[in-house]
Amino acid sequence: MSDVTPDTPREDDSLLAAEYVLRLLDPAEEARVAARLAREPALAAAVAAWTARLSGLDAEVVEATPRAAVKVDLERRLFGLPQRAPFWQRAGLWQAVSLASLAVAGFLAVQSLQLSEGPARAPLFVSEIAAEDQSLRLLAVYDSAAAELRVTRTAGDAAEGRVLQLWAIAGDAPPVSLGVLPSDATTAVILPDALRAGVADLVLAVSDEPPGGSPTGLPTGAVLAVGQVNAL
Amino acid sequence: MATAHDIEDLIARVALGDRAAFSKLYDNTSAKLFGVVLRVLNDRASAEDAVQDAYMKIWRHAGRYSANGMSPMTWMITIARNTAIDRLRQTRATVDLDHVAEHLTAPGPNPEQSAVAAGEARRIAACLDELEQDRGAAVRGAYLEGQSYADLAARFNVPLNTMRTWLRRSLQSLQECMAR
Repeated sequence: MSDVTPDTPREDDSLLAAEYVLRLLDPAEEARVAARLAREPALAAAVAAWTARLSGLDAEVVEATPRAAVKVDLERRLFGLPQRAPFWQRAGLWQAVSLASLAVAGFLAVQSLQLSEGPARAPLFVSEIAAEDQSLRLLAVYDSAAAELRVTRTAGDAAEGRVLQLWAIAGDAPPVSLGVLPSDATTAVILPDALRAGVADLVLAVSDEPPGGSPTGLPTGAVLAVGQVNAL
Repeated sequence: MATAHDIEDLIARVALGDRAAFSKLYDNTSAKLFGVVLRVLNDRASAEDAVQDAYMKIWRHAGRYSANGMSPMTWMITIARNTAIDRLRQTRATVDLDHVAEHLTAPGPNPEQSAVAAGEARRIAACLDELEQDRGAAVRGAYLEGQSYADLAARFNVPLNTMRTWLRRSLQSLQECMAR
């Protein structure tokens, strides 16, 4: 404390604090002050006092409303997708599903059903749930006779220490969990009663969640992949 | 208009990862913060990036803000201002000014000190007016526009060291005036 300016250390530090708050110090000086703040409460208090003093000038700032897109973009950077319903639709991810991939999906669907239960007469539905960059891709086939949704992961996996959770969204209603996807590539879930009639208009989505799935009943992590259900 | 208490409450909820609270916090404060960064950067596109970066820091550091006497708006504006100044001085990219936000919340002033400081804050405009005109303008330039000693020396057409001396004296007078 008293090695450099034994006579008036307090005044000097107060000025230094002011220059620090005003960002007038060069980067090296700035780093030195920052390092001292952690262990010198008096200096930290001087910085806080100058911050408060100068904050009176904040009243002179003319407010300016940023464009709405700034918030949408911010929330996407932080959370993966804009938060307001119907954000699934707004994301536009499912629009990227190509006809080609649907054709492949149809072929696989028929194959997988023939393997398991023979000829199927009830309507079939298919959805390719894909990330925008294709880092995660799942194929979902719904057999309305069995009310069974068969999901095959064709690309990507859950992050280390995380799980993938499958959701169904009907219109503007909140997402309904269809469960955590096991680590196996293929799994089958029975679609809840309430969703069966409107299956052709469902959107399926996969979110990144903590082990055991979302603790809130709604997606808490990033929505990694989205897909629209289509009749086959 | 949300009160300081409302904002504090929102920050506390943001610290728990409450996205709806974050959305509300943004709605209530972004015009001010955008005004702050726009004043420093003087360019809408850069200001949009900077205000996003600032809110990302606010999201990350909300847990370190606790009602410590520092006004929540001052805390947020400090983050926004520093983010904008970092962007203005890209060459300083190595200095992570995140720590400024942290230190503001670490060993802050006690309530009595901050009440004094808040009272002083209201007097800053009057005290700046007591300074010679250019000197008051230099303090405003540094605070509101993020100007460095070199910027200010060029603006007022004086040698760098003269500007340094000017400004330090001004700050000293300012502190005395505000404590009166």
